[in-house]
Amino acid sequence: MELQKNARLSLLLAFAVVLNIIENSIPLFGGHIPGLKLGLANSIILFVLYIYSFKDAMYISILRVFLVAILRTGVFSQAFFFSLMGALLSGGAMFLTKKFTKLSIVGVSIVGSIFHSIGQVLMAIIILNNNMIYYLPWLLIFSIPTGIIVGIISKELVNYFKNDLQNFEN
Amino acid sequence: MNKSDIKLIFILLIVSTLTIGIMKLKSSEGTKEAKVYYQNDLLLTIPLNQNFNKTYTVNGENGDVVIEVENDKIRVVEEISPLHLCSKQGWIKETYESIVCLPNKIIIKIEASNELDAVVE
Repeated sequence: MELQKNARLSLLLAFAVVLNIIENSIPLFGGHIPGLKLGLANSIILFVLYIYSFKDAMYISILRVFLVAILRTGVFSQAFFFSLMGALLSGGAMFLTKKFTKLSIVGVSIVGSIFHSIGQVLMAIIILNNNMIYYLPWLLIFSIPTGIIVGIISKELVNYFKNDLQNFEN
Repeated sequence: MNKSDIKLIFILLIVSTLTIGIMKLKSSEGTKEAKVYYQNDLLLTIPLNQNFNKTYTVNGENGDVVIEVENDKIRVVEEISPLHLCSKQGWIKETYESIVCLPNKIIIKIEASNELDAVVE
């Protein structure tokens, strides 16, 4: 069933790219808090992490960063490195929390959102040589509601498709 | 959501509100100045005094970036970029705040102005 799985994963990748582009064009709070967004693409990553595996989730996550960069800013632009760092850190953190803590998918989503912010701030310190760490507590506060929303969406997705996928693959 | 999720949310709320509170307290009350950088070059040093209104224009990566100073706060009024994030950000005035115009490679930082530094420069 490798072919079927690959087809499903590429469909999910396309969803993640589209969600990413849509939410980038709708700034929350009129853009008064730079960098703040819902992170809807993360619901796809979480879904893949729960249904398939960590490796597949990271594939989707990194390919998504490349594709969005090609479509929006160009590969190896500064914005590309910001989202790459965010994707790597949040993917790793979500895997570890899922494996080693009792947090539900909502908690895992919040952790992913936090580490995405940490990745971006780290990159700002490295690339822009600018001490953006003051910005982190604000992003932490906002990662609670956005993490909960994305977590609930992924939970519903996982519940909905879990039975469906099992029926298909047996 | 289970119990550990709720715990995580509480810890996050406490940690972030505490750090924001500490930052607000530590932001110095003395005289401040805004420094405008293009990449890593210092373009302008603007004192943030009372009763001081002026607009400056600096050259960013995509063209002119218009910066406005009003009393003790500073903002980007106009710039050429796809999303206009830094003009939407609005006023900043605390020493730990900054405005980053990524497409234009312009950074505005607020620092406590120091008499000794002025002598050294």
